[in-house]
Amino acid sequence: MKHDRLHKSVDAYLKLHNSSTPARLDFVQSVTGFILALFIMGHILFEATILISKDAMYAMTRFFEGYYFFGETYPGIISFLAAAIFIILIVHTLAALRKFPSNYRQYSIFRKHSAEFRHNDTTLWLWQVITGFMMFFLASVHLYMMMTNPGDIGPFASADRIVSGWMWPLYLVLLISVVLHTFIGLYRLALKWGWFEGKKPKESRKVMKKIMIAAIVFYIGIGLAALGAYIVIGIEHSDKVGARYHPTEGGQQ
Amino acid sequence: MKVTYTDVLVIGGGLAGLRTATGVKERGHDVILLTLVPPKRSHSAAAQGGMQASLGNSVMGRGDNEDVHFEDTIKGSDWGADQKVARMFVNTAPKAIRELAAWGVPWNRVKKGGRQAIINAEKVTITEEEDAHGLITARDFGGTKKWRTCYTSDGTGHSMLYAVDNKVHEQGIEVRERMEAIALIHENDRCYGAVVRNLMTGELVAYIAKATTIATGGYGRIYSVSTNAVICQGTGQAIALETGVATLGNMEAIQFHPTAIVPVGILTTEGCRGDGGVLRDVDGYRFMPDYEPEKKELASRDVVSRRMTEHMRKGKGVPSRYGDHLWLDITILGRKHIEKNLREVKEICENFLGIDPAEEWIPVRPTQHYSMGGIRTDHRGESQTLKGLYSVGEAACWDLHGFNRLGGNSVSETVVAGMLVSEYISDFCESEESAINVSTSVIEAALKCEQDKLDRLINNKDGEDTYVLRRAMEKIMMEKVGIFRNGKDLKEAVDELEQLIFRSHNIEVTRSKSLAANPALVNAYRTQMMLKVALTVAYGALLRTESRGAHSREDFPERNDKEWLNRTIMRWKDPDMTMPTVSYEDIEVEEMELPPGFRGYGKDMTIHHPKTEERQAMVDTMRLQTEEEGLDRIEVQRTLMPYSELLPEKYQGRNERLDERFDDER
Amino acid sequence: MNALTKGLMMKDKAARKIKINILRFDPNIPNDRPRIDMFELEEAPGMTLFIALNDIREHHDASLKFDFVCRAGICGSCSMLINGRPGLACRTLTSTMEPEIMLAPLPLFELIGDLSVYTGNWMRGLNERLETWIHTQEEVDVERLEERMEPELAEEIYELDRCIECGCCVAGCGTIQMREEFVGAVGLNKIARYRLDPRDKRDDDDYYELVGDEDGVFGCMTLLGCEDVCPKELPLQSKIAYLRRKMVEVGLNKKD
Repeated sequence: MKHDRLHKSVDAYLKLHNSSTPARLDFVQSVTGFILALFIMGHILFEATILISKDAMYAMTRFFEGYYFFGETYPGIISFLAAAIFIILIVHTLAALRKFPSNYRQYSIFRKHSAEFRHNDTTLWLWQVITGFMMFFLASVHLYMMMTNPGDIGPFASADRIVSGWMWPLYLVLLISVVLHTFIGLYRLALKWGWFEGKKPKESRKVMKKIMIAAIVFYIGIGLAALGAYIVIGIEHSDKVGARYHPTEGGQQ
Repeated sequence: MKVTYTDVLVIGGGLAGLRTATGVKERGHDVILLTLVPPKRSHSAAAQGGMQASLGNSVMGRGDNEDVHFEDTIKGSDWGADQKVARMFVNTAPKAIRELAAWGVPWNRVKKGGRQAIINAEKVTITEEEDAHGLITARDFGGTKKWRTCYTSDGTGHSMLYAVDNKVHEQGIEVRERMEAIALIHENDRCYGAVVRNLMTGELVAYIAKATTIATGGYGRIYSVSTNAVICQGTGQAIALETGVATLGNMEAIQFHPTAIVPVGILTTEGCRGDGGVLRDVDGYRFMPDYEPEKKELASRDVVSRRMTEHMRKGKGVPSRYGDHLWLDITILGRKHIEKNLREVKEICENFLGIDPAEEWIPVRPTQHYSMGGIRTDHRGESQTLKGLYSVGEAACWDLHGFNRLGGNSVSETVVAGMLVSEYISDFCESEESAINVSTSVIEAALKCEQDKLDRLINNKDGEDTYVLRRAMEKIMMEKVGIFRNGKDLKEAVDELEQLIFRSHNIEVTRSKSLAANPALVNAYRTQMMLKVALTVAYGALLRTESRGAHSREDFPERNDKEWLNRTIMRWKDPDMTMPTVSYEDIEVEEMELPPGFRGYGKDMTIHHPKTEERQAMVDTMRLQTEEEGLDRIEVQRTLMPYSELLPEKYQGRNERLDERFDDER
Repeated sequence: MNALTKGLMMKDKAARKIKINILRFDPNIPNDRPRIDMFELEEAPGMTLFIALNDIREHHDASLKFDFVCRAGICGSCSMLINGRPGLACRTLTSTMEPEIMLAPLPLFELIGDLSVYTGNWMRGLNERLETWIHTQEEVDVERLEERMEPELAEEIYELDRCIECGCCVAGCGTIQMREEFVGAVGLNKIARYRLDPRDKRDDDDYYELVGDEDGVFGCMTLLGCEDVCPKELPLQSKIAYLRRKMVEVGLNKKD
């Protein structure tokens, strides 16, 4: 026992102080996640403007290309935005990686635990891991394309990419992954930092979970509808691939 | 042969054992603490209601001091307590609670201004003084003149236990869990340690120490229904008894708590009644005021338990498939109070009864709760007959509680006794007489003897089934050595228990033959021990032909100071015998500060001691004289019954109170 | 008459038969292999797993290992996996479950045998690691009036002091399954408790040394198994979130 105590004190002496890195990583993971979530919430809504009309979607594209600020379009802005998001995504991934099972053993232990425990929030985390893992690839492909071909956004250009460019299977999986990951992530983020706790955290959590489910349903619904719309346009437009969209009279300004 | 040496061996990891260990360690002695379960799982955690200490902070406790606490304790004990020990205790209790406050117990505090409370089933407003704001508050408990029971919600024992165990961690005290002392090692009336069984591996190890302390709690589990944890089996008392040298005191003094839930016997705290809950019968009628117009539900525990039993015998109980019960009504306290201050009670009601106590009444009946008796010690906590053996807490008969313990005095006793006895043990360890002069052959013989016993239990053929004996014992104790006792039943109980002891020599461990972790084997040897303890209880009760405190004889309803102002002392001289030998230790009236009187419950049927009157007159005169001389209450007390030199020097000081500030007021 | 009396006075309905499956293994027996034993019992009114398991030990298998101490939900000894979820066996009524019940020992802790695990050892290690005691240089004078404390603060501390170290939160924690060095909700709650206590003189920098890393608060993935299985319903979710905010504050202001 005396030996133990001595040992302990030597350990204490040798022990390095806790560094600030874990705190920073934790903070960065949350901040980047939050930014990405906001981005996705906007992104899906913006692309869904196709459901209103081709003109609306066209106007939205022009807006992001800076037309309403500078009088002409700069697709470079899209490249820049895509690059920025890509970087945030990479940072987020790196920060989040430390939470991933680091080997198969850990993964299978967790699977088993989650299967036996049948605890909703634990299972949801597994979904986050899986969707996060998928997004590694899918989102990277998507972002890389946006960075390199920033001009290929528009009612016809996007639709062509989706149908004739054979991107629709990727976008379908990406949509589901990203929506799940985003809203499970936001829900967890709120609990993690104690946002909207109120006087009765247990009750607030139930409400938040309901909101999370509603948001997932809403976003997947709207995302699928938009994807469907692009597919329809893409099929109709498949004989004129490459031709750009021109707004109808009065469709702009 | 495996032997471990240390200065002090503490057996038992509840509050008493832990506090003893910290005290000894503080004085610089090595200590090893053995415990059946991790210390934080000890039965001390189950003490819900509170700890008595005369702080006098709350307005309902103002004017409280050691004198009032002393008087309550002695009256509560029905004059069975050792008055000097009680004095030592009441003077140390405030120190104990303040020490615990510093160690982290989140005692509930006085909040200045008015608050609602229920007293005698009526809403009243209590207004706390500004100067008491933030000091430790107290609630009302049975048998006390002032509100003196300090508490943390209804998890007092839990918080205390955690604070003290954390202190043990801080000090780096060695705690060995899942270890059971199954025999003491002794030679020439000197105790040298214990034979200890590892409950995980079955290995036997001899622990040799200058001083050995038994802090294993009570023996409630000899009854079939008890509020006690399942480990409160009296094995500490049993191993002391089996030395043939150490003695047990007042084993027949068993307390029944009025409000344990039916049928499982889990306790609902006295705080329920202290905070204003009432008892009701089958008609929903509040019956206690009819029996005890003054204290009502807050009469002493033994009194309330007897009144409840009487009332049920009149046919006023609520019939159920588990027998009759009564109702505890705390709905009048309101949901808010219950959810804050009686939360454990609420959880227990929800989980074990499926009811909401804020809406419904709780089915209760008196149930075995506390063992006033135990290993007889002197005021220093040392066995009177076996040197080097100490005992503290419920395991001991120190004797603070006499024949009935006040609610809130037990957790208080555990820490106070731990504080004091650890000092005496340290003194002993620093003296020459603590030298360990035991030969290895004695140690070896002790180990072998225990190993042989275990082997015999495993290898026996066509022997007795442990469970049959155990259940028979529990039933006998329940039916014949209960709240009301009589000569005929007790005689039967003694005879039957003796038979069971005889049969227990032939126990066979069936179905599982492992010598390692084997619950069947544990059950077998513990049952053998418990039977002996049970017999000392029944036998003591049979011989004591009077009613005192919790010991209530229907055939001898009067308290008989003339013949029975004494302690029952039991010894088991020869392991092969099936009966203990009995002697009595007189409680001297001439030395009493508070000579025997009427407790104030029911009709006074006391047969007084011939010297009582004389002593009372003397005390009255002395008190008058000294008060005329202008002595303060502490000096007056000193002339009546000096005791403070018995205390360790560091605990001899006075206690500061709001009403008794020290001169150099901060 | 309330619901319970009706229950107690009710004539015996045909009692339900329940099947209790127990994952058994005794590490003290060489070559013993984990197996599942099934015991069939007649359910009694008000039967808890405490009663059921003792019944099995008394009438079916005296060697069955499990731990109970207070049997009242206070001491935290009897946690086990009940149909896959960590919980206190003593206060689990069989009537609240399907007639086929699966019991297994709590994972992660040292197994003593069958349903008995050595939680005490683990908890002591945790307490020593986090130094869960009041740190102060002040000597207490026990003869003087005690230090004052706001009544509400005392209650708040007690709220967190109610932890019974049963290990359910540990068994219900996905993080700790993968990373055994993680302190778990029990540890983080203790830090929150001492942080709240003005008698403990440690500051946030000290606490950062204890839990400001991946084994501490930053390891928590907010799966909230702890919150959902805690038999004492401690506010674990909100206390861990609070601690995280405080520790991030320390971390971000820290110069390495």
